[in-house]
Amino acid sequence: MAYVSIRELRKSYDDTEALHGLNLGFEEGEFVVIVGPSGCGKSTLLRMIAGLESVTSGEIAIAGQVVNDFDPADRGCAMVFQNYALYPHMTVAANIGYPLKLAKLPRTERDARVRQVAEILGLTPYLDRRPKQLSGGQRQRVAMGRAIVREPRLFLFDEPLSNLDAKMRVQMRIELRRLHRQLSATSVLVTHDQIEAMTMADRLVVMNSGRIEQIGPPSEVYARPASTFVAGFLGSPAMNLFTARIGAEGGIQCDLAPDREFPGRLDLAPGSAFVLGVRPEDMSIAETDTSGLPAVLDLIEDLGGTRIAHCRVGEAFVTAVLPRESRLREGARLGLLPGPRQLHAFSLETGLRLTSTATAGTLAPTESVTVP
Amino acid sequence: MTIDATLPGAMPRPARRARPARWEAGIGHGLMILTALICVFPIYWMIVTSLRPENAIFSTRLWPDTASLENYAYALRAVPIRQMLVNTFIVSFTVTVIQLVTGILAGYAFARWRFRGSALFFGAIALTWLVPLQVVMIPNYLLVSRLGMIDTLGALILPHVASAFAIMLLAQSMRSFPSEVIEAARMDGASHAHILWQVIVPNLRGTLASLAILIFISTWNEYFWPLLLSRTPENSVVQIGLQMFITSEGTQWGPLMAASTMASLPILLIYLVLQRQVIASFMKSGLR
Repeated sequence: MAYVSIRELRKSYDDTEALHGLNLGFEEGEFVVIVGPSGCGKSTLLRMIAGLESVTSGEIAIAGQVVNDFDPADRGCAMVFQNYALYPHMTVAANIGYPLKLAKLPRTERDARVRQVAEILGLTPYLDRRPKQLSGGQRQRVAMGRAIVREPRLFLFDEPLSNLDAKMRVQMRIELRRLHRQLSATSVLVTHDQIEAMTMADRLVVMNSGRIEQIGPPSEVYARPASTFVAGFLGSPAMNLFTARIGAEGGIQCDLAPDREFPGRLDLAPGSAFVLGVRPEDMSIAETDTSGLPAVLDLIEDLGGTRIAHCRVGEAFVTAVLPRESRLREGARLGLLPGPRQLHAFSLETGLRLTSTATAGTLAPTESVTVP
Repeated sequence: MTIDATLPGAMPRPARRARPARWEAGIGHGLMILTALICVFPIYWMIVTSLRPENAIFSTRLWPDTASLENYAYALRAVPIRQMLVNTFIVSFTVTVIQLVTGILAGYAFARWRFRGSALFFGAIALTWLVPLQVVMIPNYLLVSRLGMIDTLGALILPHVASAFAIMLLAQSMRSFPSEVIEAARMDGASHAHILWQVIVPNLRGTLASLAILIFISTWNEYFWPLLLSRTPENSVVQIGLQMFITSEGTQWGPLMAASTMASLPILLIYLVLQRQVIASFMKSGLR
């Protein structure tokens, strides 16, 4: 049985339903990242698990016990907030030790635990300082220290890295993972940052508009997105999504270039429309526009390791990874060929993944054919 | 070698406010000095008059020819000023502490709890701020009279145990207190009492200090309510003591000014010691 299990969980604010009957579970010791755009309900879900938001209907169980009516402190979980939420008038030591003081632990034991946690987090030299005398990263560590000191079995992180600068964010990401490995408690982290989500999670929960779009290991969610939303949300640059249909030859015909057909197997009747998804790294580039989708290279983004080509196909923009050896310049005409690696197909009506898509090992630039 | 890449004159300097001309600054300072003199002069005149002998009391000379403490000695003999000062301090201090405590408790309730009719209650409390003393004077008088508290210090304190101004100011400060810190305290296992007294109150020290100064000064200066209730000088406050030098036979200006000087001393001291906080408190409360 899952350590945290959520059944038919709903949350309403007046007449507006923010969460629409969620069902999910977190196994003991795993690191789960809930990711989604702003307003998708991920923080609401976390706050409901913490007990900071009431449950409209449904059930939250932690360690087999339904905790809907439990006070936050009685749920055996600790939370780290986005803005650190440290007590400004207390020293670092007092901040970390406050939960123990409330639990009426003897002072000597309290001090020992605070010192031990400070040691783990590298905060020993700052124990007498106040929060305003610390950097963002140090404040975040104090917030984590305050969570760790209670030795909870469940950690909840509400966008804990979003107030840090880029360098510190990468460092803290690694520290958080290390800490998780060291403490082996169940951790749930909420973020809107897909890199954070992909790099930190054992399991990813992608949310959109108060619903769960997909749950799974990051690599699986990336490789097999369950919907156009997940496909467009995860990955940078995002997956290219085009309206396409099954051509007369049984291949794939994109609406952007209806006179051309690309090979691919899909168990749909000829003429059936669907959404074709191609990741930028799965898009091949031909140096002439006689094959593939005829495009104009609008802009090249050089990221050091890779180069991203932003191409215009008619009115639409398509992104592709530009091979390092390519000599194409901005303004050049080229052909964009979906494949040769993985293609994704989604229902035009529901946006859900069509499971019968064939990965296109057979797709090669030369195989694209021109339909008369 | 360093290369200065800035081209001379390429970037216009950001516009800076021109410094006022010397004569403009002079006029400004002159006006401020004049205003300060107008404000300070009555206090100076009170002190100077208190030091003049009786036969020179109406002298218009700016500096007394002979200074004497005779008026002070008379004032202390004629009226129990010392006792009255102690009474005034007790009343002002107690009212300050009680109003702060009730303000903190009510402010927290309005700021952090959602209950049916809270907006209505808050509005009603705000409205009481608009009701002048004269309107509630008679009901309050009847109340303390039925409680048998006429001519007691308790009667001077009782109608002031809660203040709409203190509740509103503290509720507002608590509403702007970061909710994440309060939620963190809840996660840490803090009760409402812990959150209020160990988390919020220590972070509202500035507001509380300002409020305490305002309450203390306004209670110290109160005249009308003690005038209604006091019967004996021993149970009265210093503002009533001052009035005792204004009799049907005439006003004893020398002792009156001496007593006034003694009555103003604590407030003057507060101003001198906590000048910055007093001004901040007036700014914060939106008064003056």
